[in-house]
Amino acid sequence: MNAFPLASMPLSRRRFCALAASALVLAAVPGAGCAPATSSAVHLVIKVPRTGHDVVFDEDISQVETVIQAMADDFAATYAKEPVEVEVVVFEQNQYDDAVAGCFDTPKAPDVLYGDYFNTSTYIHTGRVVPLDDIVTPDIRADLFDHLAAMSTVEGRLYMIPYLARQNVLAYNLEMFRNAGLDRFIAEGQITAWTLDEWTEILDALAGSLPEGSFPMMMYAASSQGDTHIMTLLRSAGSSFFDEDGHFNLSTPEGIAALRWIQEGVGRGWFPPHAENLEIEDCSSLFKNQQLAIYMVNNASLTRYGDTVGLVNFPGPDAGGCATTFSSGFEVFDNGDARKLQVAKDFITFVYESDHWLDYAAGTLPASKAVAERYGVDIPGYELFRANADNVVDFTGSNPDTRAVREVFYPCIHDLLMGSTTPEETAARIDELCNQAIDEGRAASVLHE
Amino acid sequence: MNRRKTIAIIVTAAAVLAFAVVVYLMQLSATVAGNLMTSVDEISRHDVETIEGSLDNSYARLNSVAERMDVYDVRDVHEAQEQLNLEAASSALFNAIYLLDADGTLYSSSYVRIAADDHAYDELMADGREHFVMLYDDANGKLETTKESLIFGIRLNDLRIGDTTFVGLLGRSDLSAISDQLVIESFDGEGVSSVVNSQGYYIVSGNAATDLSGRENFYDMLEAGYIEDGVTIDDVRQNIAEGKDFVINCVTATGEPLVMSFAPVEGTAWSFIMTVPTEVFNERFAPFIAMTVGMLGAMVCVVSIMLALIYRFMKQSVHAQAEAAARTEFLSNMSHEIRTPLNGIIGLNHLMERHMDDAEAMAGYVGKLGKAAQYLLSLVNDILDVSKLQAGKVELVNEPFSLEALIDNVCEMQREPMADRGINFTFAADGVRWPYLVGDEVRISQVLMNILSNAVKFTPEDGTISMNVSQVIAPSGLAATTTISIADTGCGMTPEFQRHIFDVFTQERNKNSESQKGTGLGMSISHLLTEQMGGVLSVESELGRGSCFTLTVTLPVDPAHAGESAEEAARERRAFEAALAAAVPAPAADGSGEGEPAAEPTRLLVAEDNELNADIISSILSEEGFAITVAENGEEAVRAFSESPEGYFAAILMDAQMPVMDGYEASRAIRALKRPDAATVRIFACTASTFTEDRNRALASGMDDFLTKPLNVTVMLKKLEAVRKGGPR
Repeated sequence: MNAFPLASMPLSRRRFCALAASALVLAAVPGAGCAPATSSAVHLVIKVPRTGHDVVFDEDISQVETVIQAMADDFAATYAKEPVEVEVVVFEQNQYDDAVAGCFDTPKAPDVLYGDYFNTSTYIHTGRVVPLDDIVTPDIRADLFDHLAAMSTVEGRLYMIPYLARQNVLAYNLEMFRNAGLDRFIAEGQITAWTLDEWTEILDALAGSLPEGSFPMMMYAASSQGDTHIMTLLRSAGSSFFDEDGHFNLSTPEGIAALRWIQEGVGRGWFPPHAENLEIEDCSSLFKNQQLAIYMVNNASLTRYGDTVGLVNFPGPDAGGCATTFSSGFEVFDNGDARKLQVAKDFITFVYESDHWLDYAAGTLPASKAVAERYGVDIPGYELFRANADNVVDFTGSNPDTRAVREVFYPCIHDLLMGSTTPEETAARIDELCNQAIDEGRAASVLHE
Repeated sequence: MNRRKTIAIIVTAAAVLAFAVVVYLMQLSATVAGNLMTSVDEISRHDVETIEGSLDNSYARLNSVAERMDVYDVRDVHEAQEQLNLEAASSALFNAIYLLDADGTLYSSSYVRIAADDHAYDELMADGREHFVMLYDDANGKLETTKESLIFGIRLNDLRIGDTTFVGLLGRSDLSAISDQLVIESFDGEGVSSVVNSQGYYIVSGNAATDLSGRENFYDMLEAGYIEDGVTIDDVRQNIAEGKDFVINCVTATGEPLVMSFAPVEGTAWSFIMTVPTEVFNERFAPFIAMTVGMLGAMVCVVSIMLALIYRFMKQSVHAQAEAAARTEFLSNMSHEIRTPLNGIIGLNHLMERHMDDAEAMAGYVGKLGKAAQYLLSLVNDILDVSKLQAGKVELVNEPFSLEALIDNVCEMQREPMADRGINFTFAADGVRWPYLVGDEVRISQVLMNILSNAVKFTPEDGTISMNVSQVIAPSGLAATTTISIADTGCGMTPEFQRHIFDVFTQERNKNSESQKGTGLGMSISHLLTEQMGGVLSVESELGRGSCFTLTVTLPVDPAHAGESAEEAARERRAFEAALAAAVPAPAADGSGEGEPAAEPTRLLVAEDNELNADIISSILSEEGFAITVAENGEEAVRAFSESPEGYFAAILMDAQMPVMDGYEASRAIRALKRPDAATVRIFACTASTFTEDRNRALASGMDDFLTKPLNVTVMLKKLEAVRKGGPR
C-alpha cells in the first residue's frame, strides 16, 4: 500500500545500527511525557483561553493570546534574576477545568492564568491562587480603577489583578425600530434606558411589525453561555437578584414578576420560537443577519455593527436600567515551588510596570487609568461606557463558584421558556439550586494566605 | 597450529559470527517492523471503517430528518424552521440543521436565513453527489458558530413546503462532540489516529482545537519538522488529494521521529493518519535484541565450554599418548643402553671361562670387564640423576667455590682427550671479575663437563674448541650472572635435533660423527640441573660447522671475597688463563692402525660400533675358527661386503643401532647390491632392542635371523656353525 516504498521501512540501517548499539547497552532514557524539565531554568506555565481582542494601535492583534505570548517572550528575554523559560498554553473557552484544575500537581499546572473573572474566580477558592497585594505597589494600585479591583478582591485581598474590562449593554436595530414606528425610543449617541412598560410596548410593537423570520429580542437557554445576560434581565421588575448574604433571591414579587415577564414574552412573540433550544451564538447570528431587533453587545463588539444600532441598558430597578461588566486579568498559582511562584509574581510586576504592555488593553475598557487616559479617545464608545459605569450591577454576587451556579441556572430558564414551570416554581428552583451551589462553593472554599 | 593461525581462525570465526548476528538482527528488525506496520494497517483499516460508519450514520440521521420533514404538517418555511429547531434540539448529533432551497437560501434551525450569495454550501452538491461531509470553514459562508464543526449534507428529492422547494438538508455538528468517538489510541496510547482534510486541517485529532481561530494545520506540523527518505510535503499533499495509501517517516520540530500511515476515507477528501512514534518500534524491537543477545551469549558460552572440554580432553589424550610413547621409547632406550654393556660383560665372562689359565688374556679381559662395568655404573647414575631431577628431588649445595678452579678442573679432565684428538683449545675469561661465588660446584662442573666432553667427542681432529667466560654483576652487587659458552667446530646439529637436544635419551645420529658414545642423558641432565639452579642452558648450532652451548647462571657472590679489587681479580684471571693455556697440550700426532687378523676359511663380517663388544665377538668367533672382519658402522659394513670377492663372507653379524648408517639400512643396501651373494649372504641382526617390532623391522630390512644382546654365545655359535657347514638358511 506504500506510495513511497523506501519510506515504508520504519527502521533505516542508520537507525537500526543506532538502535542495535543502544539496545545492547540498554540505556534507560527518561520519558518526555510528564518528566520535569532537566534544565536549571525556571519553567513558567502561563495559560490563556482563546479570546478575541482588539487593540486600537495595532490592527494585527485579533486574539488576546497573541498579546500574552508577546509579554511572555519579552519577560523571558529580559528577566535578569535567573534563567527562565515561559510556556504559553492556549486553551478553548469551554476547557477551563481541563486546563486549570485538571492540571494541578502536574508539570502542566498553570503558574499564571489569564482569564475572565467570572470563570477564574472559581480557582481562587481552591487555595491555589495567591493574593497579589504584596506585589501591587501603591503606584500600580492607584492606577487601577477601583470598581474593577474591587470585583476581584476576596476578603480584602486582591486575587486577580485586572487588565481590562468589558461592559455589556443591549443594542437595538435602528432600521427595525424605525420600521416598527419606534423612532421615539431611539437615542443615538448615548446608552439609553427604558422603563419596563416601555420595554413591553417596544417588544409588542416589534412582534407585530417584524416580517416572518425576524424576531424582537434575544433569548436562549440551550447552554450556560451568555446566561449572565439573562440573569441581568431578571432585575427588570426591581429585583435585587442577590440578598445581602450574596444568595440568589428571586422568590420575591420582583423576581417572580421578571420571570413572568419573560415567560409571557414567549407567547407574545418577543423571542424566536423555542428559544430554549437556542445558543447565544444563534441570537448573535440572527442579530447580525438583521433577523433580531435587540441583542447584547459590549464596547469591544460594538464596532461590528457600526451606526446601525443604538444602545440601551437592560431593564432595571430604576430609570437608568442596568448594565453588567466583567474584568479580565491575571491570577498567580502556588504549585509548591517557591522559585516558580516568585518568577510568576515577577511576571505580573513586569507587565504592570510596563506602559507598553498595559497599553495593549486599549481596545476594550482598560483597567489602567493611565492607559484609559492615553487611549480613551481612540477606544470605541469609551466615554459612553465610562459614563454608564454607575448603572453596572455585579452579576456574580461574589459567590465562590460562579461556574457551578451557571451550570444549574440555565436549565431553569430552559424550562421556564418551554412553559413547563411557572415563574414561581422557576424562582424557587433557581434560588434552591443556585444557592446550594453557592453554599457548597463556600464550604469548599480555601483561600491562599 | 601456530599462534598466528589460531588467531586468524578465531578472528575469522568472530567476524562470521558478528556478520551472522548483524544479518539476523537486521532481518529480525525488518520482520518486527513489518509486523508492526501490519498492525498499523489493521488499526488504520479498523479506524477508517469506524469513521466511514460514523459518516454513514450521520447521513442516515439526516435522511431521517428529511423523511420526517416530509410528513410534518408545516405550512411555510417559518414553521419548517421551528420544526428544524425541535429536530436539532432533540438530536444528539446535530447542533444545527439547515434546509437548502432551490434558490440556494439556507434556513437554519435557529431561524437564521442565509441568502444564496452569502454562502457556497449549495455548490458542494453541484457535481450530482448524493451527500457530502466537510470541515466547517467560514470561507463557505458563516454559520452561527465559530466552533470547529463538521457539515453534513444530503440531497433532497424536491421536498416542497408551502411555496418553497428544498433540494438539500445540512447538519452541523460540533467537532469536539464527535471527535472523542473517532480518536482511537493504539500501542498503549502512544499511537494516535487523526483525520485531516485536503487542506491539512484536522477533522479528528488527539488535541484538536475547538474554535476556528485555534485550528492547527497538519502541513504546518510537517513544515516545522522534516520528512525523511526524500519525500516532500508536496508529495504528501498530492497523495492525500489522490486518495492514496502511503507511509512516511518524519521528525517533528521537537525532534521526535514518527511513522505516519495514511489511508483515504471513502467518500471524502480526507485522509486518515495513524501516527506512531518510532520509539514504539524501537521499544517493540528492543526485547528481541535483548533476547537475541542473551541467547547468542548463552550459545557462545555453551559452545566455548564444550570446545574447551573437547580441547582439554584431546590435549589430555594427546599428552597421554605422548607420555605412553615416551615411556615406550624410554624403555626401549634403557633396554638398549643397559644390554649393550651387559652384552660385553657376558661375552667377557665367556672368554674368561675359556681362558682361565691364560693370565695375560685374563688380564685383558678383566680390564675390559672393568670398563664395561664402569660404563654400566655411569649409565645407572645418569638414569638416577634424570629421575631425581625430573622428580625435583635433587638438592643443590650452596657453598663458596672458585669459578676459576672449577673451570680449571673441568678443562684438566678433558686435557688428555683433546690432546689425543689434536683439538685446539682456546679460553677467554676477560669478563670474570667475581670468581668467588656461592653455589653447587659439583653440579656446575657436571654441566660443563657434559658440554665440554661432548664438544671433544664431536669435534674432529685439528678442530677447535673455545671457551668464553663472562660475568655481569647484579644492581645490588650481591650476585653475579656468569655466562660460559663452549663452541666447537664439530659436526653440528640439525634444527630438528636442536629442538630435542635436551630431551632424555637423545643423540644425534650424525653421519659425520664416528663416535656415538655415552648414555644420551648428559644434555638432559645438564639442562635439568641448570634449570634447577635458576639458569639457562641454550644451544646454537649449524650442521657441519659446529655448535655453541651457553650456560648462564646467576649465583651469589661469595661475601668473603666481595671486597677484592678489580685489579686483583684481573691479575688472577690472567694467571688463570695462562695456567689453562699451559694445561692444554698441543695436538697429538696421528695414531697408528691395528694389525689385521689372520684369514680363516669361514669369513664373517661383524658390524659393531661398540669397540668392546666388537673385540669380544671377534675373540669368541676367532677362537671358533672364524675369520672376522669388523666394521664400525653400517656404511663400513656395506663397503667391506661390496669390496670383498663374491662369496667371501659367509655371514654378517649386523648391529642394529650404529652411527653413520644403522644396521637396517646397511642390510637393505647389501641386499640391493648386484652380486649373487648379496641376496644369499646370511645376515644376523645383533641388537639389544628385543621388542617384537624391532625383530619385524630387522626381518623387513632383509636380515635373516635375530640375535639378541647380551648374546647367547652358544646359540650364536650354533647358528654360525650351521652357516659354516652350509646348512639350510
